[in-house]
Amino acid sequence: MKALPVNPDQSPLVVLDLLFKLKIKDVMTAEVITVQRTDSLRKVQHLMRDSRISGVPVSENRRLFGIISIDDIIRALDAGHINDPVDRHMSVNVVVLEEDMPLSFGISYFDKFKFGRFPVLNHNNQLVGILSSRDVSTTLLLELLKEYRKIEEQLPHHAPQSAGPISQRFRINRYDFENAGKAAQAIKKILIKRNVPSARIRCAAVAAYEMEINQVVHSIGGNLSYVIDDDKIELFAIDDGPGIANVDQALEEGYTTANEWIKSLGFGAGMGLTNIRRVADEFSIRSTLGSGTRVHAVVRLKDSNGSATDKTR
Amino acid sequence: MKLTELIEPLSCKIIHEGSDFADTTIENVTASDLMSDVLVVDKHNLLIVTSLASDQVIRTGDIVGARAVIVVNGKALPATMSKLAQELDVSLLLSPLTKFMACVRIGRLMNTE
Repeated sequence: MKALPVNPDQSPLVVLDLLFKLKIKDVMTAEVITVQRTDSLRKVQHLMRDSRISGVPVSENRRLFGIISIDDIIRALDAGHINDPVDRHMSVNVVVLEEDMPLSFGISYFDKFKFGRFPVLNHNNQLVGILSSRDVSTTLLLELLKEYRKIEEQLPHHAPQSAGPISQRFRINRYDFENAGKAAQAIKKILIKRNVPSARIRCAAVAAYEMEINQVVHSIGGNLSYVIDDDKIELFAIDDGPGIANVDQALEEGYTTANEWIKSLGFGAGMGLTNIRRVADEFSIRSTLGSGTRVHAVVRLKDSNGSATDKTR
Repeated sequence: MKLTELIEPLSCKIIHEGSDFADTTIENVTASDLMSDVLVVDKHNLLIVTSLASDQVIRTGDIVGARAVIVVNGKALPATMSKLAQELDVSLLLSPLTKFMACVRIGRLMNTE
């Protein structure tokens, strides 16, 4: 029996930790759809169709008698005994899990027994849930997301509030709309603390935001970094590819290669680079097809008359 | 025009009240589903009217310094949207009207001032 679907020597500790920390009861579906021994297979067939499930435990008062799978139903339809009661055709040798077992155990069961689901019992042998591979993948994804957030929060990205040059780098991932804008938000916060005029903050935030969105939409991923000193903020958006075939064309307002999905999210109007150029005091772009794109923008942090006071609000 | 004056004519449901919600003044309105277009708007006391129900509307609103966002067409809002509105202190309202009708009514209210 393969103990785990991952190699313990090469997997991140976070993943292994989750597989042992999470109990079956944390992952299982607690509201189990069940049938009784006297129910007809026809009823089970309808139940499976309506609830979109492929296996139903046979249980009365939380006592488990067996399980009916979609294979049993197909066989019953074939053989013409679909109106028989459940207990004549259910599997009685049911492989079950206990609610306090670690998740790693549950995963190894999927590997070992090739069943789509396992009923879960408590210490008193009462049916308390059911575990499907869907439960496992959903929970693991959510838990990994939580862990990832925790790790991200621990990264030293809390910028100092005092004057003097500061810099920071953000990782931007492809199609990660959920986090797009976080760099712009962070930059905005810092500039507010530094009493930069709000019109200037706006320009810097718009430039950073468009850079983030560009990388989310068009690149396979990249980085956005900034350097802030007393006079200006410098923004560098450097992605890992795929590069722009025709940079002049990309700079035309309204030119876009975005697909309908991206447009449905409110982006991809072909305004990104134009917007950055519009709000920035300096702007440059370099791109090589096959390697990547580098956008550089500078936004001055003082009003044109040199004062640092806020005239706009 | 006060933001609160819009609530009844647009049959708005209040999803999040930003700070000084009751005193929020609206001087400019932009109606768009394209956030890149909204980012071009450089106006104070801005209201965004949109039929786009996504977190990025709130982020865009925050970046352009918008006071409030009204999502029209009674769209189902993702749960994260009101959370982000709280976090970024942007008032968020939901109207069942179409974008056109919402704009017509806002226009009338602004004209009578």
